[in-house]
Amino acid sequence: MANQNTAVAAKKKSSLDKLGGQKFIVILVIIALFLFFSVMSANFRKYTTIVSILDYSYYIVLMSIGVTFPLITGGVDLSIGTGLICYSLVGGYLISFHNFPVWGGMLVTVLFGVAIGLVNGTLVAVMDIPPFLVTLCTCMITRGLGAIIVGGFGITWPTATQPGGWFRNIFKISIDARTKIPIGIVWVLILVAVMSFVLNHTKIGRYTIGIGSNKEAARLSGVNVKFYHIMAYVISGLFAGLAAIAYSAVFATVQPGTGAGFELEAIGGAIIGGVSASGGAGSVTGSLLGVFVICLLKTGLPFIGLQANWQQIITGLVLIGAVLIDVIKKRREVH
Amino acid sequence: MKKRFFAVVLGAVMAVSALGVVASAEEVTANGDYTFEIIVKSYQSSYWQAAVKGIDSEKEKLGVTANSNGPNAESDIADQVNMLNDAIAKKPDGIGLAACDQEAVLDSLQAAKDAGIPVVLFDSGVPDAPEGSVYSLIATDNYGAGATAAENLYEALKDKIAAAEAPVRIGEVNQEATSESITGRGLGFIDKFAELATADGKSVAVVGNEYYVNNCADAGDEASADIIIEVAVPAQTTVELCATEASNIMNKEDLIGIFGSNQVAAEGILTANGNLGILGSDPETSVLAAGFDAGATIKAAVTDGTMFGAVTQSPLAMGITTVDVLTKIANGEEVEDVPTEGYWYNAETIDDESIAPNLYD
Repeated sequence: MANQNTAVAAKKKSSLDKLGGQKFIVILVIIALFLFFSVMSANFRKYTTIVSILDYSYYIVLMSIGVTFPLITGGVDLSIGTGLICYSLVGGYLISFHNFPVWGGMLVTVLFGVAIGLVNGTLVAVMDIPPFLVTLCTCMITRGLGAIIVGGFGITWPTATQPGGWFRNIFKISIDARTKIPIGIVWVLILVAVMSFVLNHTKIGRYTIGIGSNKEAARLSGVNVKFYHIMAYVISGLFAGLAAIAYSAVFATVQPGTGAGFELEAIGGAIIGGVSASGGAGSVTGSLLGVFVICLLKTGLPFIGLQANWQQIITGLVLIGAVLIDVIKKRREVH
Repeated sequence: MKKRFFAVVLGAVMAVSALGVVASAEEVTANGDYTFEIIVKSYQSSYWQAAVKGIDSEKEKLGVTANSNGPNAESDIADQVNMLNDAIAKKPDGIGLAACDQEAVLDSLQAAKDAGIPVVLFDSGVPDAPEGSVYSLIATDNYGAGATAAENLYEALKDKIAAAEAPVRIGEVNQEATSESITGRGLGFIDKFAELATADGKSVAVVGNEYYVNNCADAGDEASADIIIEVAVPAQTTVELCATEASNIMNKEDLIGIFGSNQVAAEGILTANGNLGILGSDPETSVLAAGFDAGATIKAAVTDGTMFGAVTQSPLAMGITTVDVLTKIANGEEVEDVPTEGYWYNAETIDDESIAPNLYD
């Protein structure tokens, strides 16, 4: 039965899928948006604007790479946004107030993310609590926890000229005041390549997809479902930790109580990039492209003089469009 | 750490007496073993670090108990109302409150009044508070503080404005258009800058965010203006959106000055400058930026001249004054509203003893 369906679906592969599927559309959207904003605003088509877009996108891209895994299992991770701020606060606090070396603070930041990922994964996979609820709870917990650990105050990681400021050069090399090389994009692309490989060519990735498309079948075929299900959330936590470092490196002060909403940009990006809203399908490269759509909208819309609240409306409409493509595609495959 | 704390406290007391922000800190004595509950607006800015320090130092000095508390973020309005209700239930000798929301606290203020607990508001006022519930308001004159930024920026730019052959642009980044404090600063800056420029024979137009355009003294006409003040407000109060809005304005060739009306907005301007590199302290070669509040990043930028200067409030003095006023009320003394000023600081004055204690990291 299942085989028949697959065969039918394969036959019905649309011309769109032959071109690379949703990713192809997203690339066209990115090009169209970029051209549109460039034509509309002379200031948008500047090198410095591109560097700024990249600066403000690293942390969302990193979150998005990670959250792709829980999304593909059919779950979600809502804790990455407030988690990012929490991990960054704690790492920065140890550096600023407890004389930790910067690399030590960075390590704690990432490990904290992994730990929260482990908690999320265990509650979802072992205790069988819906991912939406689990990560909504850890979203609230990390929001409060970060503020409590640092004493409730904003934390500034070392500025570029202070001792330890070297870590800001991880994402951007300054030649002089007006010439910057956005080196962070190289690291992001490497991580996308690595995690694409993990998703498509390792057990962790294949079982992540397996859990998302048919968890029971995966379990019956002898897969340690619980372990791989937990791993999806650990990966999400790890990348939230890496995103925390990107955020700390680009922005000045990390404020407790913020971060809610970051996860929606990462999840929205992943869904625009073709991660199925119901799990079982998706790609890391798609998520990367999807995040660029969101970041282009965020940066470009102010440049064409659109007031702030319209930006959110337009981003929401784009997201609905992406989900509709997914739903229509599925319906065509079934019928 | 401890030494630094006492140094800050000592500096605060010196600054307070030097500036006369509080009538005289020495005059206040507690005639009883009072307990106060003090609720700050949020812990979202290092601004509150200084206010809580002021509260803690003054309670030790007077020998009273003052418990400080506050929600995670200024938007956690319901959390703060719960904290306020809990505080009322404890029946303290007085409550200090920096209200997140002007409407949400009204019922609780009535309850405090019914329970006979005096309330002192600090940082932000509540215009519709029940008659007789609020004994005193201790707050920065935000409109005046915005005007202070405009005066200093205009003074530095006026020769360039006078010599300009084409219209010039002044930017303003406000993190939102709803709170009394931010809108007060934003409008104070716009109105003062326009007033000074008009006095020198220049015409001014205000463009951008509707709230500020509609509520400033005169929005003027963009087509004929010599000076265009462009106001940007992001969709959310986050630093990356402030930076994006700032980037947009800072890319315009006719820009000569820009003002960020709180720590988040000023840091957004500095983040945007990280890629653009257009800010500096010489009006002939660079764009001048004025900030608001402090924090390590803004302090460093003012010290090295990237930021021309900034306005600081006196959160320390506000915390100290709140405890003083609460104590006076508990003593049965008459109290009045206490306005606190905004102070301009730049690379030269950043280490002055009247300024430095208010510049929290």
